Amino acid sequence: MSTPKVERLVNLTIALLETRRPLTFAEIRRKTGYYDQSDAESARRMFERDKDDLRRLGVPVRTRSTDAFDVEQGYLVDRRDYELPDVNLSPDEVAALALAVRLTGEEGTRLALTKLVARAPDPAELQVAATTRVEVAADPVDPIADALVSRATVTFPYRTAAGTTAQRRVDPYAVAKRRGAWYLLGHDHDRDDLRAFRLDRIRGDVEVVGEPGAFESPEDLNIAALVAGPENDRVEVEVAVSPELRWAFDARGATDTGRTHRDHWPVLRVPGIDPWRDRSWLLGFGPDVEVLAPAELRDAVRDALAAIRDAHRPQVAT
Amino acid sequence: MSATDDVARMLTLVPWLLERPGASLDEAAEAFGVTTQVIRRDLDHLDFCGLPGLGGGDLFEVNLVGDRVVLRMADELKRPLRLTPQEGLRLVLTADAVAEVAGDDLPALRSAVDKVRDALGIPERVADVVAEEAAGYVADARRACAEGRQVLLRYQGRADEGPRDRIVDPWTLHVVDGTWYLQGHDQDAGDRRTFRLDRAVGLEVLDTPIGVPAPEQLPPPRYEPGPDDVEVTVEVEASARWLADALTIETVEEREDGGARLTFRTDAPRWVARLVLMAGGGARVTGPPHVAATVRDLADQAAGAYRDD
Repeated sequence: MSTPKVERLVNLTIALLETRRPLTFAEIRRKTGYYDQSDAESARRMFERDKDDLRRLGVPVRTRSTDAFDVEQGYLVDRRDYELPDVNLSPDEVAALALAVRLTGEEGTRLALTKLVARAPDPAELQVAATTRVEVAADPVDPIADALVSRATVTFPYRTAAGTTAQRRVDPYAVAKRRGAWYLLGHDHDRDDLRAFRLDRIRGDVEVVGEPGAFESPEDLNIAALVAGPENDRVEVEVAVSPELRWAFDARGATDTGRTHRDHWPVLRVPGIDPWRDRSWLLGFGPDVEVLAPAELRDAVRDALAAIRDAHRPQVAT
Repeated sequence: MSATDDVARMLTLVPWLLERPGASLDEAAEAFGVTTQVIRRDLDHLDFCGLPGLGGGDLFEVNLVGDRVVLRMADELKRPLRLTPQEGLRLVLTADAVAEVAGDDLPALRSAVDKVRDALGIPERVADVVAEEAAGYVADARRACAEGRQVLLRYQGRADEGPRDRIVDPWTLHVVDGTWYLQGHDQDAGDRRTFRLDRAVGLEVLDTPIGVPAPEQLPPPRYEPGPDDVEVTVEVEASARWLADALTIETVEEREDGGARLTFRTDAPRWVARLVLMAGGGARVTGPPHVAATVRDLADQAAGAYRDD
């Protein structure tokens, strides 16, 4: 009867951990009693698959040459690379982490937490009002996690806002989530500048192309500003708004000019408007807002409204 | 669950059990988020694990008495495997997000995150969830939930023309992707409702206790299609693809030029029309005709103000 795969993988891990010198495939066969099929090729393939599975789990299986002539490869796991160092979490800290995992219901973090606390005493259960829940949904970060943590340069195919796809080469500094979208922030080699990339526009594999520790991320990295876009060219605009929607402008720090327009609509001055980005915000108010100044923004809004209207005219059958 | 998931759990189960001689199956199942049957199966496998090759003497010793487990002779795996970068980053992200929300109630969380970062070599500030400002109503809303008091909420609903006042029995606060949601019972509607706090114009905590308590099971806020919904189709240019993020899209047909055809259901066509306006010409409603007409009328009305330019 063949050994269940889980036992084979656990025992292969132990064999590679317990050896001080690299073991050749033949030695691994002898020690474990596995991979003894009569067909040598398929035995070797089974071992290669097992080795890949262990690496996917994070078991650091190293390949070393076993003699000066590089004739045969040997394998081992260095205990120092394998073992999780003690994190020395206090009972309060363990309880807080456990609560964080519970509040988010992120199943992907459960085993990670158990690893961390496997050797720590169990804390008293933390009672916190269950009136707050948090959703993280970090799946999109997985492909970039290795490179982020090891500080390695990556390349990936990226679809731009214009719809074309091009290969990018980036030093990944950080990931951030804003309004439901994950962004990668990093140094874009081709443009030699800091850029934000949307992770859902990466169209293919993220490939590590350099050594770990290839760069340091800047001390003054302003994540919030980078994902919000450039702050430059902010202007003050003057708008007439329906009194019903005045609150939306007050929330953005509008001041009243004291003047009115049309049907007693107050004329407000709104600071810090990005003429490109906030044009869409202003358009969303439809007939409840009229842009008065600056003239370029007024023209842009007028033209966009006319284009939208024309695009939605009923199709005439021909 | 795949064999590698099982192995990942077993490599952690060994040090966990070594640290807790006599732990019960239930405790182990709870710690690993699996059933006791799964733990039993793991133990059956571990009985055949150990230093291989040299016969029975060097295998782990698993003793199960009643529902208590004692594991011996397993020092080869006495420490857990390191966290992978994916696991480490997820844990830090999760803890950071919670610290952002409940940091004041959980002072130990921030120091825990720092220790985890250090131990795993995760650089500081490598991941962040950028929360939108919610006009400072979050603290009041949380207090109302905790104290079980009603709130007077001035709120701009998706289908409303302007903000309206409503009395709400607040139940829970959710943070989804940096946006705050308040779930509760809306007295006017006589039903449960979800409110986005960034659409709140005012929030006042009242002295009256809540009338309708939170149900046992409260699913997180999600759009649930109703019988009166209309199915809308929108053609978007590449520049307006963000529309897909603002809506719960059912189907996306990609186009060669980077644009797409989006199909979705909504109970608030007027709100959809405003989103289409926001796309500034990059989006076109192709059906149903009455939604396209709403967009056209809003745009026409708005353009009227500029007629004399």
